[in-house]
Amino acid sequence: MKYSLFVAMREYAENAKTKGFWVGLLLFPVIIAVAFQVPSYLEEKATPTRNFVLVDQSGLYEEVVDKAVLRSNVRKKQEAFTKYMQKYMKEEFKANQGELDLEKIPAMNLAPGQSPQDLQKEIMDRLESSSSAELELLGTEQGWADFEQTTAFLMVEDRPPFEEPRVRFRRVDLPTDLSPEMAMDELSEGLKPYLTGSRGIEVEGSQGELFAAILIPEDAEAHILRDFMSQAQDQATANMGDPEEGHQGVQYWSVNLADLDLRSVVERGINNRIREQEYVAKAIDIQTVRQVENTRIRFKSLNPKKAVGEEEVSLADTIRQWAPVGFVYLLWIAIMTVVQMLLNNTIEEKSNRIIEVLLSSVTPWELMVGKLIGIAAVGLTMLSAWILSLVALLAWKAGPEATWAMEVFEVVQSGGLIPAFLIYFILGYLTYAGIFLAIGSICNTLKEAQNFMGPVMLIMMVPLITMMFIPKDPNGTLATVLSWIPLYTPFVMMNRAAADPPMFDKVGTLILMVVSCVVVMWLSAKIFRIGILRTGQPPKLLELFRWLKG
Amino acid sequence: MVNDYALELRNVTKRFGDFTAVDDVSLEIPKGAVYGFLGPNGAGKTTTIRMILEIFKPDSGSISVLGQPSALLVRNRIGYLPEEKGLYKKMKAWSIIAYFASLKGMNRKEAKKKAYSLLERYGLADFADHKTEALSKGMGQKVQVLASIAHDPDFVILDEPFSGLDPVNQQVMEEVIEDMRKRGQTVIFSTHVMSHAERICDRILLIAKGKKIFDGSIPEAKRVIPKRWLLHTRGRIDALGDLPGIRGMVEIPIKQKESPEPIRAWQLRVSDDLNFQSVLQACVQNGIVLERFDQTEPSLHDVFVHMVGDEAKEATFR
Repeated sequence: MKYSLFVAMREYAENAKTKGFWVGLLLFPVIIAVAFQVPSYLEEKATPTRNFVLVDQSGLYEEVVDKAVLRSNVRKKQEAFTKYMQKYMKEEFKANQGELDLEKIPAMNLAPGQSPQDLQKEIMDRLESSSSAELELLGTEQGWADFEQTTAFLMVEDRPPFEEPRVRFRRVDLPTDLSPEMAMDELSEGLKPYLTGSRGIEVEGSQGELFAAILIPEDAEAHILRDFMSQAQDQATANMGDPEEGHQGVQYWSVNLADLDLRSVVERGINNRIREQEYVAKAIDIQTVRQVENTRIRFKSLNPKKAVGEEEVSLADTIRQWAPVGFVYLLWIAIMTVVQMLLNNTIEEKSNRIIEVLLSSVTPWELMVGKLIGIAAVGLTMLSAWILSLVALLAWKAGPEATWAMEVFEVVQSGGLIPAFLIYFILGYLTYAGIFLAIGSICNTLKEAQNFMGPVMLIMMVPLITMMFIPKDPNGTLATVLSWIPLYTPFVMMNRAAADPPMFDKVGTLILMVVSCVVVMWLSAKIFRIGILRTGQPPKLLELFRWLKG
Repeated sequence: MVNDYALELRNVTKRFGDFTAVDDVSLEIPKGAVYGFLGPNGAGKTTTIRMILEIFKPDSGSISVLGQPSALLVRNRIGYLPEEKGLYKKMKAWSIIAYFASLKGMNRKEAKKKAYSLLERYGLADFADHKTEALSKGMGQKVQVLASIAHDPDFVILDEPFSGLDPVNQQVMEEVIEDMRKRGQTVIFSTHVMSHAERICDRILLIAKGKKIFDGSIPEAKRVIPKRWLLHTRGRIDALGDLPGIRGMVEIPIKQKESPEPIRAWQLRVSDDLNFQSVLQACVQNGIVLERFDQTEPSLHDVFVHMVGDEAKEATFR
């Protein structure tokens, strides 16, 4: 056994020295870190200010659109300010997760007759309100300055001034060669070069890019779609005009049809106004409508497996359901990487005939055990590094800004995922290592090994493919059947780990896995013992079978 | 009873399918001997060596190594250099030597020290910290030889230690073996190159087609083939053919100046009991004028060709 240890130490030392090992080790946290950062980076930086022109020949909606755009811009500003406030908040106001603890607001900041709750409400309203009036108030310079004034006491004195984020949408003037009085066709034709980017448009004194044009025809009101049935009846009885005409309305011109934010903001604004007018026309009280619109019943998802009082399905539960997918993937990559190392080393020893010297010193069994231990240690090192860096990154990211990271962090820490992961890694590794060792021992070159690897890889792809389906039905037929196939047990059971599979499945598959692992080891030891010294062509299947019997 | 043999083979046979690689070979190698395994390609040398090391098990017969029935029981006292040489490409020269020595039970610290001292002694000190892939083939082979003997084994088996080495390094290899002989280590090596065997072996084993053909000391081997005499004459010597004791004669082409009656060289193969006198007498009687008359000692090469010449050719074409 001492010699196995020496073999293992060499395998470990030599593989841990390879570039591939370090690249794998370091690349993973880098990828994760980038994956964490990129979406928020894109959100902040990548979406430029969208310039648009608005021509309202009807003269009815210009103000509505301007206000809708303003509200949208203010909301972005609010979000940025919330982050800014959290960042520079005085320690004494910080509650858990860095949120504002309003009970600590000193009385001196309260206006006469104002309770802390009132102030809280005021600040929160300003920060989170989506009411038009509030947003429009904040949209004015004075309104915003007042708001900053109100919240200033919460933050440390030496904070940098608040940097306004880029506005989302900016209305620019029509190019000088066009006039709002032109016919719709002419206007759209004239705007085309600007929209396609072949001509720039003047934006606050410099050249900019026109993102979209919103054209509202003079007779926009005539194109309002009302109840479809009655309209159809009207048309049938009147039988007049082009039926196409009924579909004309506001035109939204843009080459970018992926980013429809501007369109929805404008569309919602105009439609809200139209509806308001309709209510008025039909003598319906708008206040009543608002109240009715805000009437709703609460809905929540519950999980019968949870304890009483905790049945509610939270974000954590969703993450708990999906986090194993990440682990399955890690497991797969880790096993694949290390068994490849094992294969390469075995073939190196065989093709260089180092094996003969080794076998004059150690028995084939000792050599095999040594290699298995050494490479397992390499794999465990890699996995520990991955998990540690993942946990570290999550801990670093977790905070009020990324509650999801906190949830993932908690899911990873709890729930026995990591012990399960390690157990399944060891068992899965041993099974596949046995197969790869046997392949390595009968092949003289990597090329020869490729022939055998094809089918093995095909088998190994299955858990990767099913990985995404299993969380949706973690205790379903597919998952259960695959769990009982030893080659898939580690991956599929890992997949199901969070869904609390039946004890029978958990223990049963584990026992089956251990048994099959021992069998694979035993068979591959037989092949290894003979194959490792064999030269020339890899053996035929029949011959392999004889080795196994012998 | 004290067993004085480092190795004993008793009627060892090994078959691979229908092919008999080693056929009923028996052999005793005394401790401290330097023993050469000679034989043409495919004769069974490597198979015999692998059986000695218990990499293969013989189909029949028994093997005893250093008094033990299995090499595995004394594997730490055995050093082995296989026929096909190879090293871990990414490992450093010293660390390979130390690794193999530690697999032979040597303390890791000592093994490292030993590796450096061996590399220094045999002229590789500058390459101790090089990866083996950066070494030349010959250097790599030297590293491998050192790796196989770093643990000071009692019994060393070197399969083709000279192949792939330049003359200078062949000389170093001979020194390595000579050093081991001085320390009383038993050495077996296989080779095709007779001159090495002739210089350094105490005894040789000659096998062909799996069968033992000769086993003994080098003088004994040379006695196997008839004595050879060399005659230079002007004219033919056919008349000597009738003399009893002359087993054959061949003309050996020699270089000389153009002349009407050139000197011709003849090699006579004669039986042991033939003496010079009767040959000289026969020459005088038949009017053969001798320019030179010489007795030559057969080289091991001649012995080899004599004993396995036909099988060797056959083996090559199999």
